[in-house]
Amino acid sequence: MENTILITIDTLRKDMLGAYGSKEGLTPFIDSLGKNGLVFESPYATGPYTQASFQGILSSEYYLEYGKEKKLNKDKTLIAEPLKDQGIYTAGFHSNAYLSYYFGYNKGWEIFYDSMADDVTDMHPFIRGGEINSKVKEFLSNFSFSKPLFLWVHYMDVHEPYIAEEYILSKIDPSIKLSKDQMFAMFKDVVLPRDIKDSNKVDTLKKLYMAKVAETDNYIKELFTIFESHNLLDSSTTIITSDHGDEFAEHGGLSHDGKMYAELVNVPLLIYNKFFGQTTIDNPISLIDIPPTICSMFGVEQAASFKGKSLYPFEDIKPYTLYGEAVGKIGHKGKDTDKPVHFIINDGIKAIYKKDGSLWESYDVNNDPKDISDISSKLTEDTKDKLTSFIKRNK
Amino acid sequence: MVTEERKKELEEKIAKSKGIVREAFSKFKHEELAITWTGGKDSTLTLWIIREVCKEDAIAIPKVMTIDEGDAFPEIHQILEEYEKKWDLDLEWCSNKDVIDAAGGELGADVEVAKLNDTNQREIRERLDYPGDKFPFEAESWVGNHLMKTVVFNDFVTRNNIKGMFMAIRWDEQKARVKDEYFVLRPGDEYTTEHTRIQPILHFTERDIWDTTLTFDIPYCSLYKYGYRSLGAATTSLKMSDIPAWEQDLENTVERAGRRQDKEEAMERLRKLGYM
Repeated sequence: MENTILITIDTLRKDMLGAYGSKEGLTPFIDSLGKNGLVFESPYATGPYTQASFQGILSSEYYLEYGKEKKLNKDKTLIAEPLKDQGIYTAGFHSNAYLSYYFGYNKGWEIFYDSMADDVTDMHPFIRGGEINSKVKEFLSNFSFSKPLFLWVHYMDVHEPYIAEEYILSKIDPSIKLSKDQMFAMFKDVVLPRDIKDSNKVDTLKKLYMAKVAETDNYIKELFTIFESHNLLDSSTTIITSDHGDEFAEHGGLSHDGKMYAELVNVPLLIYNKFFGQTTIDNPISLIDIPPTICSMFGVEQAASFKGKSLYPFEDIKPYTLYGEAVGKIGHKGKDTDKPVHFIINDGIKAIYKKDGSLWESYDVNNDPKDISDISSKLTEDTKDKLTSFIKRNK
Repeated sequence: MVTEERKKELEEKIAKSKGIVREAFSKFKHEELAITWTGGKDSTLTLWIIREVCKEDAIAIPKVMTIDEGDAFPEIHQILEEYEKKWDLDLEWCSNKDVIDAAGGELGADVEVAKLNDTNQREIRERLDYPGDKFPFEAESWVGNHLMKTVVFNDFVTRNNIKGMFMAIRWDEQKARVKDEYFVLRPGDEYTTEHTRIQPILHFTERDIWDTTLTFDIPYCSLYKYGYRSLGAATTSLKMSDIPAWEQDLENTVERAGRRQDKEEAMERLRKLGYM
C-alpha cells in the first residue's frame, strides 16, 4: 500500500538549498532527493510565521479566516482527520509549541508527539533532529504496517536561537570563533530586538543559521536511513517543505515577523518518490494545496472546509491566484494594535497590502524574485483593478 | 506463552509480593488498610495478588479506592465496574466533586479559585502557593493534578483513618523510584494523617507485569491491546504504537511518553523560542 510522508523544516529559506541554486553546499542530501521527484520553483506559504503558515500546510486554511484566534478554530479540519476517518494511520512528531496539543493541533492523529512534556534547554528550546528521529524510529519499530501510513515529521533545528555546532560552522566560515554562550548572547542582543545596525553581526547570524541548515540536512539523511530499514521508500511519496523562511536585514528586520517578502513566504517544496524522474514545476503554487493533495494521494475524500485544491497527479497544473495573511507584528512581542497584512500573487504580480489602505506594495515575481523594487507606481489602472477584484473575491 | 523456566521466575516474584501483603496484614488492622486501584495494569495486578492472598487465608479484601479525575477513558471505567462486581469489592469512587462542578464538568474550562470550597482553596493558596485567580480543569496540569489526585487521596486516607495504603509502584518505572522500599512511612502534616505506603510489586519490571498478566489470566484494560502503554487522563495519555503493549519493545523505549497539555508549558516554550 502507498504511504505519504510529510517533512516540514521550520524557518528554512528556499535559497539555502542547492536544489534552488545555492552554491553553499549546505544540503547535499535534500538536493539529491530533487533528482527523483518534483521541484516546485515558486511555492508560497500562506503566511510568514508558523501560526499563519501551518494553517495552510495542515488545515488548508488561511490564518485569519475567523479572526485572530489563539487556538485552531474548531471549524478548521486538520489533514489527519479525514485520513484517520478513512482508514489511514496518522502519526505526527514535532516540537513547535505553536502546533501543540494546547493550540488544538492534536486532532485526528493516532500518534501525536508534541514534546511539551519533555525538557528542553534555553539554547535548544525544542527537540533536536536526532531525538525526533529516535521517536520516529521507535514508532516505526512498533508499527504493524497493516494500514497505509501518513507520517508527519517536523524539524526545529533551523529556528533561532541559532546555536551552531562548531564542526559544521567551521566548514562554512572558519573565521567565526564564538562559544555557544556568545551565540546565545547574539540571539538575545541582536535577533530579539531586531537590531540590524551592525551588518557584520547580521552576517555572522546568517552563517550560524546556515550551519543549522546543514545540520538539518544530516538529520533528514538519517531519517531516510530509518525509512530504508523499514523498506518504506519502496511504497511512499515524501513531501518536503518549510513553513516560512527567515530575514537577514533584506527588508530592515530579522527573524520572521508579520511581513510578506520573498525571504519569508517563498519556501521550498519538493516531492520525492524513488520511482519518479526529475521534474520542475514553474508556476507559483500555495502550500494551502498540501492537505487536498495528500487526500488525493490516498484516494480519500477531501474535508469540506479545505480551501485549497489538489495538485495531484502533478501534471498540467494551471496557474491560479495565491493568497497569504498574517498579523503584521514586528518584533518578538506583538501589539494589540497590529493589523492584518495580506499578499496576493496573480499573473506575475505580487501585491502586499493592508485592508485599511495603509500599505500597498507590488513586485514583479518573475523578474524580481527578492521583492526589491516596488513597482506600484508603474502598475496600470487595469492591473490594479484586476488585483483588487481578486482581493475582493477572496473575502 | 512463556517458558516453564520463566513461569517459575514469575511465580517467585508473585510469592515475594504475597509475602509483603501478608506482612502488611500482620502489621495493620484490616479496617486500617486500603488498596489504590486505577484500572491500569500495575494496580490491577497488585489487587489480584492481594485477592489471591485473601482467598488463601480466608479473609476479606480490604477497602479499595479509585480516583476519578474527571477525564477517564470509558474503557477504564468499564474494567473498574466489571471487576468491582466480579470480585465483590468494597470500592469507593473518589473525586474532587467541588472542582468538577466549578468547571461545569468541562475539560479545559477555567475554574475560579474563589468559587471552590475551603479545603480546595487552602490547598491552592497555602500548599501550592499558587497566586492565580483561576486554573484550567485538566488533570495533568500542575494545580489540576494536585487537586484532582493528591487532595482526593489525602482526604480518603484521613476520612477512613487509613494506616496502610497498598500502591502499585515499580522500581523500573521512573529513576526516582529506585530507592523505594516495600514499606514507606509517610509522616502526617496539616494536610494528611500519617500512613504507610505498602508497595508489593516494586520488583516487577514492565515486562514482568505483562508476562504475569497474560500467563495467569489477570484482567487488563482493553486499551493496552490497541497500543497504549501507559494510561492516565484520557485527553493526555499518548499512544506511540498500534500494536498491543506487550508486543512493543518495552526494554528499549520509554513507558510514559509524555502526557501534558499545560498552557504554562506551551507559553514557556514560546518565550524560549523568541516569541512574546
